[in-house]
Amino acid sequence: MSKKIKYPNPKWFKMKDNINWQLQKENVKEIYGIAKDILTDYDWGQTWKNRVADYEAFRDRAVDEAKYFAALDWAGKKDIILNGEERLGKLYRNGQMAFTRREWRGIKDTAYDFWEWARMWGMFLTTFGKDLVPALNGVLVYRWMVSYFCAHSFMDKLTMGLHGSQLRMHHELIYSIFRYVAENLVILLKADEKDGNCKELSDKLVLFDEMTMGQIITGFPDAVGVPYQLLPVFLVSEMDQLACEPYIDAIEEFGLPADTCPVPTSECGAVVLDALPHCGACFISSSMPCDGSVMASEFTSYRYKDLPTYHLSFPVRYDDESSMNMAVQEVRGAIKFIEECTNTKWSWDAYYTCMNRFNQETDYELQKWEVNQTDTPALIGPAYELFRKWHYEMDGGADPRVIPSMEKVNNIMMKAYENKEPAWTRGKMKHRAIVWSCPPHYFSNFSNWLANCWGVDVVVEMESLNFTKHLNTTDEQLALEDMSRLYERMVMRRHTNGGYDHVLTELWRQCEIWNVQIVIMYQHVACKNMSTLQGMFDDQARERGIKLIWVEHDLMDPRTVSRKDMRSKVNEFMYTVMGEEPCDPTLIDYNDDTTW
Amino acid sequence: MRDLKNLIYFEGLLDNPDNELVKKASEDGRKALGYTCFYIPEVLLNLDNCFSVRLRAPNVGSIDIATYYMSNYTCEFCRTILEDAIEGGFQFLDALAEPDACSAMNRLAEHFELLKVNDKPDFFVTHLEVPYKIEDYTLDMYETQVQIHLLDELQKRFGTDISDASIRKAVDEHNEVCRIMTELSDMRKLPNPPITGYEYFVINLCTYCCPKDLLLPKLRETLEEVRNRKTDPKPWYRARVEVVGSEIDDLDLIKMLEDAGAFVVADRFCFGTFPGRQEIELTDDKPALAQIIEKYLVESECARWMSQEKIQQRHDTVDQLAKDFNADGIIYEQMKYCDFWAFERTMASFVLHEEYGWPVLSIDRSYRVRGSGQLRTRFQAFVEALEIKKIRAAAEEGGASA
Repeated sequence: MSKKIKYPNPKWFKMKDNINWQLQKENVKEIYGIAKDILTDYDWGQTWKNRVADYEAFRDRAVDEAKYFAALDWAGKKDIILNGEERLGKLYRNGQMAFTRREWRGIKDTAYDFWEWARMWGMFLTTFGKDLVPALNGVLVYRWMVSYFCAHSFMDKLTMGLHGSQLRMHHELIYSIFRYVAENLVILLKADEKDGNCKELSDKLVLFDEMTMGQIITGFPDAVGVPYQLLPVFLVSEMDQLACEPYIDAIEEFGLPADTCPVPTSECGAVVLDALPHCGACFISSSMPCDGSVMASEFTSYRYKDLPTYHLSFPVRYDDESSMNMAVQEVRGAIKFIEECTNTKWSWDAYYTCMNRFNQETDYELQKWEVNQTDTPALIGPAYELFRKWHYEMDGGADPRVIPSMEKVNNIMMKAYENKEPAWTRGKMKHRAIVWSCPPHYFSNFSNWLANCWGVDVVVEMESLNFTKHLNTTDEQLALEDMSRLYERMVMRRHTNGGYDHVLTELWRQCEIWNVQIVIMYQHVACKNMSTLQGMFDDQARERGIKLIWVEHDLMDPRTVSRKDMRSKVNEFMYTVMGEEPCDPTLIDYNDDTTW
Repeated sequence: MRDLKNLIYFEGLLDNPDNELVKKASEDGRKALGYTCFYIPEVLLNLDNCFSVRLRAPNVGSIDIATYYMSNYTCEFCRTILEDAIEGGFQFLDALAEPDACSAMNRLAEHFELLKVNDKPDFFVTHLEVPYKIEDYTLDMYETQVQIHLLDELQKRFGTDISDASIRKAVDEHNEVCRIMTELSDMRKLPNPPITGYEYFVINLCTYCCPKDLLLPKLRETLEEVRNRKTDPKPWYRARVEVVGSEIDDLDLIKMLEDAGAFVVADRFCFGTFPGRQEIELTDDKPALAQIIEKYLVESECARWMSQEKIQQRHDTVDQLAKDFNADGIIYEQMKYCDFWAFERTMASFVLHEEYGWPVLSIDRSYRVRGSGQLRTRFQAFVEALEIKKIRAAAEEGGASA
């Protein structure tokens, strides 16, 4: 009988914490001081007025919805009861962080949606319960931990307007992402000197820079790898648009100009504010994906001088195979470094096992592409790209539970495809589009809005179109070369590095493959790699008759370009250039500047 | 001090990238090889029938067209060069060699190709991969890159002699320039030097932008003149500063700084002396190419190097230069929208102040400062602060000895 694999290894959670209670006492004292100041300075009169306004808004909305429903004929009423509501803009309210309520998706889908809501809560409680004290204490130690309380709101945001198979696939992908996140959070907080202070775990913990994928750590069954800044900075900025503002402000006050990319900027800000956990046997910093990322590691290594750091740097012009030896040597160096720091041994068997799994996962990813390239795309929405980025790539084949999740999604997708089930209902399948350039973290469900408001269906995003070759699992040299190629072509890097052909010419190739009429062209104002090709995109799109909708954003800083500003660019284009009317007019103009 | 005899001549050479010496060399049938970054070993662009021209764009006004192509939040240096290229300012080039060191320079080179800014049928752009840290295998990789993407291309396209002997010959000429510049540079260590920071900057910049063999006669003459130059009884400056950071080729910037009373004693920026004007000492036991690659990479002070020892090297170099040249303070500067130097300036200006104890001014600036009032005010304030510090220190010393 085969032994059931437990993942993640339960021993990581069972290791003994060594919480510094004196430190916690001081922290609580500081929090008490802050709370006291807030309560003292609080304008209670205004608070009362706000609550009254909240009540009035709630009442007005309820009346409006009741009147709207009453005014419908029987067919309309039945449609809403069975198929869900139409006016999704009504879920937002100016100045509020949360939605006014959860979405009504029809009886069956709403019930399913609540089941998934409960399933995710259950997963969170179970996972955090693996070491409850440091996990919960994290909320008192780190500001960003509070943003994880809006995980369910994030889920609602990503699934807005979804029904049937789409809803089920999205929920499975989102659940999978958060399972990965929650487990890594517990490990990070448990090992953190400022929290769980579990030295035994920390000695086996390898921290990875930014978006550096986890494939390399899969060869170390006796060590554990965590994407260091992903949890405190990167991912929370997708969940809570306001999360990174304090970090950005902090580092700009320190002297960094405001024109740098908010990713390394926020990471450096987190260093300045001491908002990153202090733990780990070593840190694998990386040169990926861009110039700013290279420099951010200088701040981290300066702050944590006791943390041994290996700078994993891959060739930028990665098509040139003459630099392959350097890439392989870099990987070898990283392996040796991890071995020394964690006192563990690299295992080819473990690596090959995980990469075989990863290759299988890649096949499932390619299956999604194949289906979405047809006339009946089956998986459209933000979770598609987010899952690829945050789980499939970051986990890198380590977690065996990913395969059943992907299999489940694949089965639903294939069934939907065979039944020609439209990915979006209510006439929202109007235009096929592709999203290009770096996506705005603070508007992570932009593709969802595009479909709900204008029927613009994003069949694929640039961030998904990364390395797809099967990794070698039989020959050590070839396996290392493949791993290098994979890293060189990781998210963002695949397109923005190595020459314009990878991002400019590639776009026109992809437009043809995916048969799209519209390109949602993100203009991340601080991304030097992309913005330095802006004019060429315009020129070449014009030559090809492809419609580019430029949408400016500042990745993690909604104060530069708000979500509303982003939407208005599309609205303007659709009204004036396309001469169309929205599918859902309530989504044209609403204020969500403070909404998570 | 009396004006330098050739200063106006040198300034004239910097008016236009296609200056009279470049024209002369091109007319003689030599190939002009453009580059914009220290990562491309300058000496290897001066082999046989080739000569190097470090690109500048001093006379470009509006950069609107380049901004259309590269957007407005990107390196102004690269945009200005592109603008000049689009306007036909780099027609004289026969090739452009660029490392993929930063996104802006990489895209600049790509726009040379995409927009076909040079009509010469043999014109080509070559891209080189550069490492992020120094290891045996990264040095090997870069040597291969230089061999394949630069030397072999020159041989194939222009029939250039790329032999070891040819490289050593180019090094000899390069070294003579370096010896002259080092002697001139060392004069800046003196309390009352016979050369100003501005004069030095102009001469040094010419060495990057002109064919060396054609410039050498004037350099030799100028060195002799400075050796014998009579200084004023008192030095003209109020404070001695080291300038550190990204690319500077703007005469107005150094002029503005010196007008504010500062004397630029050390230039640790791209297009400066450190690194770039140190002799290359070759031994016979290894190929010249490998030795040159190693020297360029090891001595490079680019912010792009990410390994800890290189970060430390950057800080230590700045500190050592400031000590060697008796600087009173350090100015960290960065070209606006340069990611590498934005982060480096922020961190290093903190470290040099907090850990090394130097007074530091930290600025970001446009490619061409023109008459920036803000910058002038900041320079003046910094000079005043350094001056006051010196006066106080002198007073305290006087008080203590009394």
